[in-house]
Amino acid sequence: MAAVAPRIHEAPDDLLAAIDYCYEQGWTDGLPVVPPEVGRVKAMLAADSRPAETVISHHPATGLDLSLHAAAVNAVMAGCLPEYFPVLVAAFEAMDRADFNFHGSTASTGGSAPLLVVSGPYADEIGMNSDVNLFGPGNRANSTIGRAVRLILRNVFQMIPGISDKSTQGNPGKYSFCIAERTRGNPWPPLCEAQGYPKGTSSVTVFAGGGFCNVENHGGNTPEQILGSVADAMANYGCITLGQSVVILAPEHMGIVGAAGWTREQAQDFLFAHAKRSVAGMEGVGKYRDREYDTQHGEGAHALAEKGFVHRGLNPQDILITMGGGDAGGHSCFIPSWSRGRGSILQHAAIKRS
Amino acid sequence: MQLYAPTSTTPKRKAFRAPVLASIDGLRLGILENGKLNAEEMLNEVAQLFVQRNGCTIRTLASKRNASAPAPANTLVKVAQEVDFLLTGLGD
Repeated sequence: MAAVAPRIHEAPDDLLAAIDYCYEQGWTDGLPVVPPEVGRVKAMLAADSRPAETVISHHPATGLDLSLHAAAVNAVMAGCLPEYFPVLVAAFEAMDRADFNFHGSTASTGGSAPLLVVSGPYADEIGMNSDVNLFGPGNRANSTIGRAVRLILRNVFQMIPGISDKSTQGNPGKYSFCIAERTRGNPWPPLCEAQGYPKGTSSVTVFAGGGFCNVENHGGNTPEQILGSVADAMANYGCITLGQSVVILAPEHMGIVGAAGWTREQAQDFLFAHAKRSVAGMEGVGKYRDREYDTQHGEGAHALAEKGFVHRGLNPQDILITMGGGDAGGHSCFIPSWSRGRGSILQHAAIKRS
Repeated sequence: MQLYAPTSTTPKRKAFRAPVLASIDGLRLGILENGKLNAEEMLNEVAQLFVQRNGCTIRTLASKRNASAPAPANTLVKVAQEVDFLLTGLGD
């Protein structure tokens, strides 16, 4: 079906009045937006060589498409610079895959927010922050790329809080949830390399994140102590499901893990082995029922990796782990998956330069 | 100042509601459960009311593997051929 032409609004020339006009149209996330003036949108679109009507994502429940044009309008409103646009486009190309479950993860009471993790040289080229105050505030690229995601979900896909977005409590990440992987001092290969992209190609990973859990440990001095704290956070009764996980190790913590020679795979194995709860304990809090696990996760998927225990995720590869944050502080984080687990599977895509 | 609307340029879909049934007495009833904790139990309880009060017959139980994803089109096509109306709902 052919797309209809983008609609143009005649707004007041006064900038403050134009900002108010955007509020009146219901186009904002509650914060003021940059009015999507035609010239700025065209400059944003120049960052992608494809026709403006190219569809990069589709919402399965509403049937609405995201074109490059609509993405550019919202990117302008969020405050993005044109060089940020390829990250935003790649993120929506990744979220468009069926296993990400676009509708569920954006409509559910679970209240997830799409977390973007940018890996590779493009993050530095556009000035993204992978360092102190990783999750914000303060960096324009991180803040506005993440915000553009939310504005697109609201304005293009019509995921309106309280109407089509039924999140029980929301999530601060629903304003913006976008970081870069830190490479300085990181002993492990960057995610984009581990994901199999050619050297020099950057990637963005998207994950329906169910919140943010700080993992503080200033006394541990071994990988087992540090990762044991992380595993405990991953297995808390409120969070544990068969879902995937994102773990961002602070440089201090990574220093301890890396100095001991642990690889990413060893860390994943350790976390998977230790992030677990007994079946009896899960039954005790009412979170374990065979039929629900079987129905939602497929016959056999629920087979316990260890008799009598439920581990977080199905295998060690379900744990994305890398480094980010400032040099000082024993503060890592665990980001749980959306709601009950495997309703959304993380995806990644290459960031294409025009 | 000219602003572009930030909304989708997808043409509006033409959506239609199914015609209202004149009566449900004696009709074939299907259940589409979403796999959540109590969905099957809750929907079966409700379906039994239609059986008792309206003489309906429960012809099929369809399940969604993923509670939050739209029901697969082939599931809906199959169910539509087997029943006159479908009962569904959340089951938390």
